[in-house]
Formats: sequence, structure tokens, C-alpha cells
Amino acid sequence: MLNINNLQVEVGGTPIIKGLTLQVPAGEVHAIMGPNGAGKSTLSYALTGRDGYEVVGGTATLNGEDLLALAPEERAAKGLFLSFQYPLEIPGVPTLTFLRTALNAQRKARGEGEISVPDFMKLSRDVAKRLGVTPEMMKRPLNVGFSGGEKKRMEIYQMALLDPRFMILDETDSGLDIDALKVVSEGVNALRGPDKGMLVITHYQRLLDHIKPDRVHVLAGGRIVDSGGPELALALEADGYDRYKDAA
Amino acid sequence: MALAELRLLAGEEALLNALPSTEAGQAAKAHLAAAGLPNRRVEAFKWTDVRAALADGIPEADGSAGLIPACLQDALVLDFAAEGFGLEGEKDQGLIIETEDSLELEGGGPLATLAAGFAPRAVVLRVTQSQSRPVVLRRHPGAPMRVRLELEAGSRLTLIDTGLATAGLSTGLLEIDIAEDAELVRYSLQNGGTGAIDLTHTAVTVADRGRYHAIALMFGGKLARAETQVVLAGEGASCLIHGAYLLSGSTHADMTTKVVHAGPNGQTRELFKGAVQDRARGVFQGKILVERAAQKTDARQNHHALMLSEGAEIDAKPELEIYADDVQCAHGNTIGALDDQALFYMRQRGIPEAQAKALLVEAFVTDVFDAIEHEGVRDWFSGLARSWLEASSS
Repeated sequence: MLNINNLQVEVGGTPIIKGLTLQVPAGEVHAIMGPNGAGKSTLSYALTGRDGYEVVGGTATLNGEDLLALAPEERAAKGLFLSFQYPLEIPGVPTLTFLRTALNAQRKARGEGEISVPDFMKLSRDVAKRLGVTPEMMKRPLNVGFSGGEKKRMEIYQMALLDPRFMILDETDSGLDIDALKVVSEGVNALRGPDKGMLVITHYQRLLDHIKPDRVHVLAGGRIVDSGGPELALALEADGYDRYKDAA
Repeated sequence: MALAELRLLAGEEALLNALPSTEAGQAAKAHLAAAGLPNRRVEAFKWTDVRAALADGIPEADGSAGLIPACLQDALVLDFAAEGFGLEGEKDQGLIIETEDSLELEGGGPLATLAAGFAPRAVVLRVTQSQSRPVVLRRHPGAPMRVRLELEAGSRLTLIDTGLATAGLSTGLLEIDIAEDAELVRYSLQNGGTGAIDLTHTAVTVADRGRYHAIALMFGGKLARAETQVVLAGEGASCLIHGAYLLSGSTHADMTTKVVHAGPNGQTRELFKGAVQDRARGVFQGKILVERAAQKTDARQNHHALMLSEGAEIDAKPELEIYADDVQCAHGNTIGALDDQALFYMRQRGIPEAQAKALLVEAFVTDVFDAIEHEGVRDWFSGLARSWLEASSS
């Protein structure tokens, strides 16, 4: 599924990711944990192709296809989805217009026909009901005036609607109270599947109580410095990241 | 500058020769001979150099006047062509149309003088009772227009004016008198090719509780300038002036407005939005003058523009001049680029860059059209804006 080999990324000429290697096989959920400034968000932006995140070495492939050569929208059409740590407000663009445009653009890129308006409306309503997204939220311009929790719910809503193959969740738990965390986690768990993969980036263990990972990796100083099963997250919660200072 | 020192350019000579021998034509000739065409050394024209645009003479007129959209099929259409003035459609009761060969011109500046000079006569529209059908003023390529519009007390009219020349010099002068409790709703569309020079001047006077409500969409031309001067003379008079400019290639569009609050309790709402790309240039000059007598004035002006390319240019000059002490006046002016973060966010969802830009620009300008009450015209303008976005992003 996702295959990252010796990835090196610079931001403004400063090396942030310094040779990162990671495999997430289909059907698995991997968590990336690490202290602030370890390069967690840089990894998610480099994989999705944001300007300013310059890949200076290494490879990243999804199902064998080179991601790094593609434009961000092409990566999205290949099934790569990033749930943003800070979802953007897009004033003037109604949420449903935005989503239908995105869905149809992805379908077009994959050589599929456009989804009809009635089919789209049905799909959007069905998904909304599952995630507690109100019709009121869907009528508003995307994320405008939404609370932090609503924005995160809207990210997962978009994720469910676009049905990606590989999902990166960047600090999805930040800004969520415990009830919202449950709703969002249930939404995420519903998207797990044998042909899908997930990378859950988080600073705290709390999210992993709800989204159970198959593997946990520790990112520090731009490299994966430790990997293990779910028990590693619990150990990190107890001991903190101090012991990786030297490893980084 | 002494008269003897003024050397006219070839284009100015050509204009002198082209002006008719009417009274207004002679007045324009005298003005032109004395001062030349307005150019960048004149403060009000520092970003819109008419002399430079006409330096090589008057471009040959080309293009069509454009079709009347389906939503305005019931309208009365007044055509202003090089051959003269024509009328199409039914005229309702309460609308009187006359022509006037020698109508005096008071002030207005050089563009008004020029437009009056070129027009063989003025068309005078008198609205004595409210009109349910709109009136369209259609300016043909290379044609002059002069219209005097008088709305009598309590009457209402919807006016649409268009100038769509591909090339040529088109001029327009619109003098509007809005009486007590009368209302004019106006929608203007200008779309010119790279050979089109389009110069219009609108002078509006609004009496007690009268209302001037105008929304304009400009795509520019070789040089396009729409001047609007509104005097809110009466008590409780109001105006709403919205404008959008969408410019690409090497086009130029200038929206210059001046609103004078002369009576108390007046209200002004101005909203201008622009998006400029390639080497195009957008100009916004907006002045609001509140005279001492105009207490309780409530005036707001906003101009926001997007630069979509490195080589694009936007020049803005917002001005508030206030002599009354009990007023509410505010203005805002921003010029920026599209939000990179929003663009990346949209692309991450699979929307190609060009389409994402088009969506963002459309969202940015669209509130200018929200004030359009005529649904058909709103769809028409929005559709034109969308076509421009699609064409310019492909």
C-alpha cells in the first residue's frame, strides 16, 4: 500500500524529514507519534504535495505508483486523503458545491462519469446522518463559522464521501471534546477496510483508545526512531518522549 | 500651460476633426484644443491615460452591439449606433422619449465634455409613472450616446446599459435626475476587445428619499473608464453602487466614482471587487464627500481586489472627505493574492488548480451581484463572470 523509503524533506532549505522509511500494508492502521517539531505535519504535507515542502531525496509510492511526481489533485484522485490539523475556511463556496466539485473532479481524473445530482444528494445525506453533520452545516460556506469540533467532523464527513484508499489523519483529536472524539472515531473506524490504509498522526495516546492502530511508530528528529505494537503508545503516554532525545 | 505651447498628438487632431459642428461638438473642440486629452499628468487620470490610448488616432470600430438576453426580452431597447438612434419594442404609458439637439452641459469633466461633443443629439427619457418593463441602452461599437433621464416623483425604472465593442471609440454620457421618492435601478455591462476604448460619464442627482441603485460589471478593453458622480441632494436620499471588474490579457478598466452627500440622513453603500491577471490593469477611484449640511450621513465604501498574476496591476484611491460632524463613514480597501492555503486544501480534495482558483475568485466577487434584484440579470452577470473564470483558468 503506502511505501516510504529514505524520504528527505526540506522546508525553506532546512532539513525536517531526514531519511524516513515506513510501510503501511493494505488493511492496516499505523500511528505516528512524536514530540512537537518532530516533523509529523511536514510528513503529511510532503506526501500530499504542498508547495514549499521540498522532497530532496527518497521515494513514496501508493500501490506501487510514485506519489511524488504527481500534483496534489492527482494524488487525491489516486485515493490519498489528508484530514487537516487546521481545516481551512472557504468563504463563498457552499459545502455541497465544494464536495460535488471535488468528487466529480476525482471521478473525471479516474476516467469515471460524473455523479448525478440526485445520487450525490442521497449519498451526502446518508453520510451526513452517520456523522452527525446537520443539513444546516452543509448549506453554509465550507467550514465558515464552524467550531473546531465541527470542522474536524466535516473533515471526516468529506473523507467518508470521497471514499479514499489511503487516509492521513493529522492531529484529528485536537480541539475535540470526548463526545465529539467518539463520533469522529466511529466515523473513521467505519472507513477501515481490507484494501484501505491509514496513517494516524497524533501527539497524544488518547485518540488511539478509539482508533486502534496495528502498529505505532515514533517520529523524532525527522526519522522513525522506534516502532512497535499498540503497547508502545501506552509506554509513551507513561514515559514521554524524553528517551528518544538522543536517538533523534 | 499656455495655449501656444500645447502640441496636439495625431490622435487628438483626429478627434478634433471627428467632432461634429454642433454646439456641444464645438465646445468639446475648444476644450480639447486648450487642454488636450486627459493624460497621466492630470491627477484624476493618472492611471488611465486617454491621450496615450488615442495617440495613434481613433481605432476603427468593430464588433457588435450584442444580443439582448432572454431575461430582457420584454425590455424596450434603445440603440445608439454610428448611424444614429433607434428604438425597438413597445413603449409603455408613463415613459416619454424625445430628442434634444442642444442640451446644455454643466460640469462633469473632460469625459462628459467629449461624450456630449460626439453625440449628435441627446435622447431625453421622462418617466412619469413606474415602469414594469426595463429599458436597455445598447451602445454600438464606435458610437456616441447621450441620454438624459428624468424620473418624476415616486416613479421607478430598471435600466440596463451595455457597451460590447471589439474595437473603436465609444462614448457615453448619462445625466440622471431622480425626483422625490423615485428610484432608478441600473445594471451596466462593459466588455471590450483589445481595440476598444470605452469612456462613459454618469451624473446623477437624487432628491429627497430618492434612490440610485447601480451594479456594474466590466471586463475592460484597450482602455475602459466608467465615471459616476452622484449628488445626494435631498434629505434621506440614498445610493448603492456596486461594481466588479474581471480583467485578463492586456485590458484596462477604470471605475471612478464620486458621491457627494449634500442633504442630511443620506446613505451610501459602495462595494467594488476586482480580479486581475496577466498584464491587465484595474483602477478604482472612489471619493465620498460629506458636506456640512449632510448630518446623519451613513456612508460605507469597500474595494477589494485580487491579483492573479505577477504582471497584473491594481491601482486604488479611496477617499473620504467629511465636513459634517454627526456622520458614520467607513471604508475598506484591500489588494491581495489568492489564499495559497485554501488553494492547497481544495487541490488536496482533488479539485484541479485552475478550477480551484476559479471557484475561489467566483466566491470572492459574487457578493457584488447579490444586490441585483432582477433574477435574470443576476444569472446573466454571474454566468458572464463564470465564463470569464473558466476561459481564463483553462
